[in-house]
Amino acid sequence: MSEKKAHQEITAKLRAECKRLLETGTVHTVIGFAPGSMPGRTVPVFITNPQEVAQLTWNPFCAANLSKYLLDHHQPGGKAAIVVKGCDSRGIVRLLQDNQVLRDEVHILGIPCRGQYDHRKIPGGLEVEETEPLEQGTADVAHPELHLEKCAYCENPTPVIYDLLLDDAVAPSTDSKGRFTEITDLEAKTAQEKSTYWDDHFSRCLRCYACRNACPACTCRECVFDQFDPDWVSKRNNLTENTAFHLIRAFHVAGRCVDCGECDRVCPVQIPLRLLNRKIIKDLDELFEAPTPGTDLNVKPALGDFTPQDPDEFH
Amino acid sequence: MPAILKKDNLQQLLASLSQAYKLVLPVRENGMTFFRPYQTGLTIDPDYINTATSPKEFLFPQTEKMLSFKYRESADISITNEEPHAEKLAVFGARSCDLAGIAALDPVFGGRFPDPQYSTRRDNVLLVGLGCRRASASCFCQAFNIDPLACAGADIAMIELEDCFAIEARTARGHAQLANFSQLLEEDHSGGVKTSLSSAREALNRSFGSLPDPAGVKDFLDRQFELPYWEQIASRCLGCGICTYICPTCHCFDIFDVTRGKPDGNRYRCWDSCMFADFTGMAGGHNPRPTQKERVRNRFMHKLKYHLDRYEIGGCVGCGRCVEKCPVNLDIRQIINDINKLQGVEVNGQ
Ligand code: SF4
Ligand code: SF4
Ligand code: SF4
Ligand code: SF4
Repeated sequence: MSEKKAHQEITAKLRAECKRLLETGTVHTVIGFAPGSMPGRTVPVFITNPQEVAQLTWNPFCAANLSKYLLDHHQPGGKAAIVVKGCDSRGIVRLLQDNQVLRDEVHILGIPCRGQYDHRKIPGGLEVEETEPLEQGTADVAHPELHLEKCAYCENPTPVIYDLLLDDAVAPSTDSKGRFTEITDLEAKTAQEKSTYWDDHFSRCLRCYACRNACPACTCRECVFDQFDPDWVSKRNNLTENTAFHLIRAFHVAGRCVDCGECDRVCPVQIPLRLLNRKIIKDLDELFEAPTPGTDLNVKPALGDFTPQDPDEFH
Repeated sequence: MPAILKKDNLQQLLASLSQAYKLVLPVRENGMTFFRPYQTGLTIDPDYINTATSPKEFLFPQTEKMLSFKYRESADISITNEEPHAEKLAVFGARSCDLAGIAALDPVFGGRFPDPQYSTRRDNVLLVGLGCRRASASCFCQAFNIDPLACAGADIAMIELEDCFAIEARTARGHAQLANFSQLLEEDHSGGVKTSLSSAREALNRSFGSLPDPAGVKDFLDRQFELPYWEQIASRCLGCGICTYICPTCHCFDIFDVTRGKPDGNRYRCWDSCMFADFTGMAGGHNPRPTQKERVRNRFMHKLKYHLDRYEIGGCVGCGRCVEKCPVNLDIRQIINDINKLQGVEVNGQ
């Protein structure tokens, strides 16, 4: 099926289904995407009125992972419906495993994803003429060169957990080697080169905490970075504090990061945060044969589980 | 009457500027443009529309040491104030919106009780404005009557034309500096600059998208504080610091002491953001802005009302940075449009 037809059909199905869900009282809210204020953007919407489902849209600029909004929109005894791509659905598993949200509080509308465009890659910036066909699906061919980096070797284009799938499943990338290419490239650098690489990025960090706030693995109500006494990491923006921030956050989400790429997407100064977190995913894969966290609701996070049969001492 | 600087002479001008000043200029880095210190051979990003972060950091740095203190049991606490930073700095290539941003910061830090750090930096800065060639999809300075070619507030104003720059000193400091470059400049004998300027302006105007109309917004907000609308937009806000940290006019800070297990330490002031949950947190745990609704409302009220109330200067200069970078597309232009709609409902509803 062409891109165009797929997007139009999915949008139509999505609206009809959400209308039904709201009308029958199956859900109290639908969390989904609506067209944004500029070409190449979409905006998260929260719909409670069945008459307003026409706002909902599906196009290849639905890059945001909406799963974290469940923290504010789940209610005991009711259900929120949420639109998820494959990678986002791992975020839902994260929230369920962490008991942040209960399975019966959420109705998952899964959309098998053919890749999301990175609006920053649109040639010539955000000219309407260029994004419109992509957005409205009138461009008949997909443009993989405009996809977000993470889409190139997506493990789960089809959501891993859902109540309804809105399209035929999409097969995952078969390029299992390519999956960690960027990480092996980084690993091949000398210690000095690695240090220069990350110093360069971390020194640019604004400490806006958008990466943390968007992350479905960062659910602490009071975050260590907001504490003043003791001030584990101070508000001062310098390479030392910034590095401390990034390394602490990487370890706090180690084994729990679902590789949704939100941190990377939201960063206003384009710090390649996914590389940091993927390095840990790769290590977990090699050390414990742990799948990417969030892939399977029944597989506990590698660093959040233990067995008395473990041959190693518990340190 | 502006003089002409041949494009080939730009490098020479930057080199000479860097003799008299510490020079920062818009440089391409990791696919974005930032103001970075000049080094021999470094030149401006030829394609930048505006920098990813605003030049406010040069007058109001994100991290600033204010004083250090020492405590000895045998003596009183001794306090050493940090000397204001008096380095001569030239910011090359500031856009008109960002110059307007500095004009919006001036009364905050330079009012009845001038802030020594800001004022000293301000007294020592040379602002070289560079008129825009085109607007990005998020630019909307014109909505606030800021002329992107005018470089109002610059010491030296420049406009890039096809084959040269038009250049003009605006202040005594600018004149003094430009006099040093006279051998690099030419007079516009043929009057060609004037013609190129008007076609540059036409091309620039064409590149702007539709502009929001903020005219009635303050008036409406003067009357309306409790709007369910704020809750609607707050529900999607992540409460991050992007919009406020990259904004050329946001100026909130936090003051705290850093001691490392000793009774000696330093006092710093660092940027803070009204979008952070703990921003107005009080000792004892009370927070007068308990939810993101109050925080989001504060940000837009500050931009569109409070700054005007206090200083009769707008709190938003339409640089579009927050529009471009907000991860959830909270677009202040859209908010202005929505407020205009709410106002229509208010008027017609009565
Ligand atoms: S989003 Fe980017 S700039 Fe903001 S704190 Fe995270 S890494 Fe730093
Ligand atoms: S660390 Fe980044 S990639 Fe991992 S779950 Fe959080 S936002 Fe997603
Ligand atoms: S950048 Fe957007 S999400 Fe972040 S605080 Fe500002 S409005 Fe909210
Ligand atoms: S509010 Fe946004 S558009 Fe206005 S000056 Fe600040 S960053 Fe620029």
